[in-house]
Amino acid sequence: MTVKKIAKKELARLLDEWSRQFSVLVPSVETGVAQMTGWQGEDTSFVDWYRNTILPPKDAILPVMEEMFSFSKNEDGYRLEMSPPDSGRQLIFGIRPCDARALAMLDVVFKQDYEDTYYMRRRLNTVLVGIGCTNPYDSCFCTSLSSGPSDTAGLDLMLTDIGDEFVIEAVTEAGRELLDKSQGMRPATADDEARARESRDIANQRVTQNVDVKKMPDRLLAAFDNEEYWRKIAAKCISCGICTLLCPTCYCFDINDEVSDNRGARYRSLDSCAFCIYTKMPVENPREEKWQRVRNRVCHKYEFYPRLFDTIACTGCGRCIRLCPVNWDITRTLNSIPGQ
Amino acid sequence: MEEKTEKLKNEARKLLEKGQVCRIVGFEPGSLKFTTTPLITGEKDELDRLVINPFIVNNLSVYLTGLKGCVAVVAKGCDSRSIVSLIQDNKVNREDVVILGIPCSGIVDLSKIEYLVGKDRDELDDITVANNSITVTVGGEKREFTKSKVLFDNCLGCELPTPREYDILIGEQVAPSPALESGKLKELKDMPPEERWRFWKEEFSRCIRCYACRNVCPACFCNRCFVEETEPQWLLPTPHWQDNLLFQVTRTIHVAGRCTECGECQRACPVGIPLRSMTREMYDLAGELFHYKAGMDKDEEPLLTAYEVEEAENFFG
Ligand code: SF4
Ligand code: SF4
Ligand code: SF4
Ligand code: SF4
Repeated sequence: MTVKKIAKKELARLLDEWSRQFSVLVPSVETGVAQMTGWQGEDTSFVDWYRNTILPPKDAILPVMEEMFSFSKNEDGYRLEMSPPDSGRQLIFGIRPCDARALAMLDVVFKQDYEDTYYMRRRLNTVLVGIGCTNPYDSCFCTSLSSGPSDTAGLDLMLTDIGDEFVIEAVTEAGRELLDKSQGMRPATADDEARARESRDIANQRVTQNVDVKKMPDRLLAAFDNEEYWRKIAAKCISCGICTLLCPTCYCFDINDEVSDNRGARYRSLDSCAFCIYTKMPVENPREEKWQRVRNRVCHKYEFYPRLFDTIACTGCGRCIRLCPVNWDITRTLNSIPGQ
Repeated sequence: MEEKTEKLKNEARKLLEKGQVCRIVGFEPGSLKFTTTPLITGEKDELDRLVINPFIVNNLSVYLTGLKGCVAVVAKGCDSRSIVSLIQDNKVNREDVVILGIPCSGIVDLSKIEYLVGKDRDELDDITVANNSITVTVGGEKREFTKSKVLFDNCLGCELPTPREYDILIGEQVAPSPALESGKLKELKDMPPEERWRFWKEEFSRCIRCYACRNVCPACFCNRCFVEETEPQWLLPTPHWQDNLLFQVTRTIHVAGRCTECGECQRACPVGIPLRSMTREMYDLAGELFHYKAGMDKDEEPLLTAYEVEEAENFFG
């Protein structure tokens, strides 16, 4: 596919150009936490500081909270109104390879058996422009999961840092079209491509965490009833929602009505299997004890999901490790499952 | 530090061997550079992993209500106050816990170092802590900072660095630090109310209701938190900023007289909300209005469960 390049100092202009067709999201700390927010023009300094966001980009497609519809009651009866759809096209600029893969993992849930309009509407309107990582965290382990800091899977366009410039490569047809239409691009030379390859090799080597995921579903199945092991592993977890709510592949949600007087709205917001009140509302929580909930998080990602959908539901982004207040590290667990 | 660590290992081993406790709750090196992680173990051969260093962030007393006795716990000054507070509230029996007190010279706030040197934790080569200064090596270059620049805010004015309630003290007494008002709190107090309201609105707009602030907090020991009640439903789980703010304000009131200013809520918050400004204000108010300091004396009546008729009249006007 097409390979071009653009100078870093041209980036602002390119994002401006794309802003005419898309609402462009870029990494920023404007809200007080690193996340993807609307491009404001000019400031491309994220190119230097950005390694990955704290809030995963899934937020642009499956937000922490969204209004589904509103309702009201008057003399004539009830009125139901769909909340205005986000029909605009959006472009996420700078998404990391792990987070792009995560969206592909979420797709299975939201479109396979049942098509979730809220999710799909945004998903189909989203273009993903990735930047390969040059400076992975010590907690990244994407290379253990048949991916890596320069993986293009799930992206439309991929940028590789070669110093003062980015080499841009089209991954999908949509990406190619966008690239062809964009101004100010120059064709990448053989030398540029060689530098991009080198940059990718270096990045790959900088991912040092390692997990052996071979036969993971079987190994986890064999260890499933080993209560002693799970109790030990879970002891320090404090059952907060950080590792799930901020995981790019977690999708559990809760639905609540907010009603005042004769009107109200229905909201969906992220939920977490780590909470002891998870699913308490409709029935009971089948996982009353903490060790069962910790086991569920690991098994859901590494056993149930691969059995159902043929892919491990973890990208190795390492957010859960970096952000956990007690440093509960999933790689330590995966590397210590009994019977290995 | 090594000396203290060795002493701790010995004491912990003795406790387990004599059958005085079934479990030790301490710290071991974390999986990431410069981090530590809680170690909860009843196995003697794991005790060698125990460590004491200036990175032992967690307030381990949070585990006590779940472990239900027969345990020895490592506690810095503020943590020991949390244990005392739990004893006051009948959540922990004094006889059921062996307190391994650690006189504490302050814990390093890695996010402050990250900010000062403009690099992330994992990009730093080394951090050495001396008596009054901390040297950070990054990219082969050494940079020195005074301790007050890189310790957690709550360590700066710590009133009880050496536990008062303990069974075994690991190391020499440390004198209290001179009280320093936290910069953020002062800044907030100086703001006109509208501006302060806007500030908190913005801060709580990014709260994701992960409840890490509540779950790391030893003072939040309720089996069922008010936010989880459904009849009546005080608050919705939907993270609207108003509900988020209300959750935090209510939580702060619930921990009045229990919060020992350990700073865990703020440290745990993944989106960086300066929660300690709230708990600190509540802490100061408890002191000002009721001359009460949390977790100082296990025989004292807890602030929120004791009242006198005279004060009630004044209070409710
Ligand atoms: S593993 Fe860590 S982040 Fe996840 S629920 Fe437990 S304490 Fe919270
Ligand atoms: S489980 Fe952890 S490492 Fe895996 S995708 Fe989720 S946050 Fe990232
Ligand atoms: S916020 Fe209040 S109700 Fe909730 S756990 Fe803390 S003290 Fe209990
Ligand atoms: S830790 Fe922060 S984000 Fe999580 S519930 Fe508390 S205030 Fe909100």
